[in-house]
Amino acid sequence: MRTASAIASDVRSGATTARAETEAALSRIAAANPVINAFTDVVGERALRTAEAVDAAAASGRALGPLAGVPFAVKNLFDVAGLATRAGSRINRANAPAGRDAALVRRLEAAGAVLVGALNMGEYAYDFTGENCHDGPSRNPHDTQRMSGGSSGGSGAAVAAGMVPIALGSDTNGSIRVPASFCGLFGLKPTYGRLSRAGSFPFVSSFDHLGPLGLSAADLALAYDAMQGADPDDPAQAARPVEPVAIAAEWGGLRIAVAGEYFARGGAPEAFAAVRLAAEALGASEVVEFPEAARARAAAYVISAAEGAALHAERLRTQADAFDPAVRDRLIAGLAIPAAWVLQAQRFRRWYRDQVRTVFEKFDLVLAPATPIRAPLLGQTTIELDGVTMPLRPNIGVFTQPISFIGLPVAAVPVWPDDGLPIGVQLIAAPWREDLVLRAAGRLEELGVARVQR
Amino acid sequence: MSASDEENITARAVDTAAALFGVAMQPEWRAAAMMNFATLTGAAGLVLAFPLEDEAEYGPVFHP
Repeated sequence: MRTASAIASDVRSGATTARAETEAALSRIAAANPVINAFTDVVGERALRTAEAVDAAAASGRALGPLAGVPFAVKNLFDVAGLATRAGSRINRANAPAGRDAALVRRLEAAGAVLVGALNMGEYAYDFTGENCHDGPSRNPHDTQRMSGGSSGGSGAAVAAGMVPIALGSDTNGSIRVPASFCGLFGLKPTYGRLSRAGSFPFVSSFDHLGPLGLSAADLALAYDAMQGADPDDPAQAARPVEPVAIAAEWGGLRIAVAGEYFARGGAPEAFAAVRLAAEALGASEVVEFPEAARARAAAYVISAAEGAALHAERLRTQADAFDPAVRDRLIAGLAIPAAWVLQAQRFRRWYRDQVRTVFEKFDLVLAPATPIRAPLLGQTTIELDGVTMPLRPNIGVFTQPISFIGLPVAAVPVWPDDGLPIGVQLIAAPWREDLVLRAAGRLEELGVARVQR
Repeated sequence: MSASDEENITARAVDTAAALFGVAMQPEWRAAAMMNFATLTGAAGLVLAFPLEDEAEYGPVFHP
């Protein structure tokens, strides 16, 4: 699988065409998807039309966009004109088809990229596994008996299987970073409020983020830059200028630490081995604490359940039996949450944000594991960590939740600590410093510590 | 509070919520919802136990 950067460069130079690249992607999807189950919808005709428009622009001498001819796909909570936005559910597929594409789909296509389809996901994004009781699980291309990770499981599986070089996902509590970790990919969760969420099905408004998964840090940067920019249709978007990232900037001078305490326990040895490899490569010798990280995770857990329950209350009243049982039972519990719990969790959120801000006065980047374990087996329901058996689902997000809780930008990078499966490391920066997390991801790639391999 | 008191509170909370929101709860869902609510209670307990100043506000994004 070639990177998006390589494809776009070849399309721009005339070495290949958008149509050829799109046909190749459609062939790869037809070959691999029956086993991997990453795609729930393939929009082949539309994709070929989009690709032909890119080629026609090239033929008439017009300048091509930075993603010219790059096939991509989106988690099926993004609106795709003509498709019902199912968001992993059975219920939503009865909705009217979307009238227009989600904002980020429009932006990527404006940059020359070619949407080829929509991707499997955990129901309503309330998931870390990539399993789906309606559509079947998306499977991990490194071992198809294992989870892709969720909830953007199809996004991880499609890229790791080489079907498309870029996929978009959403991340509320870890749903980009978890599949990036399990599938061995680069993933970017930008700062909360950075990219427009317009035209995507929500889950927890307080924490919902959208972002790309891909084959390299440069590809993430390319896609991320194409998606930046103000959009009045997203009421939570921050008033920030477009700030293009320059991952090729000279490396050095950054103060980098490893997250200790909470982020140094409760995981398998390989999670910490991966962090050590990244820390050694980047010259990070200091350890820093994110104070009250366990409480931050607890607060994120309460807010997620409450906001998710409020969002789905009417569907729970009318069609509770049509939900994925694992989602339904958590949402019903969420309906019982007292308002004071949620408001206190939100007050704590701001306190925690202020504490973590002081960490980034001393350091530019902080490293932490992305997941406590590598990809578990499909159907697995428990994990054993530090000799204690725990339920699997909630604990997959133990290291991602305290970070997205306060919206910090994170790149998850794929590290291979031994001959086994990959596992991700989070590179975390202060708000709005996506440039730093992507530059560090690029540096780890350059040093061979982070890489995508088939 | 004893374990059975906690279980009673959990059952009442889940049953009340289901009734308030008109959810036609099936018996097999109830046990799972109760387990989930017990986990939420634990998480909320951690949050509520943390002392915050009265002036500590949350971070609203509402723009009038």
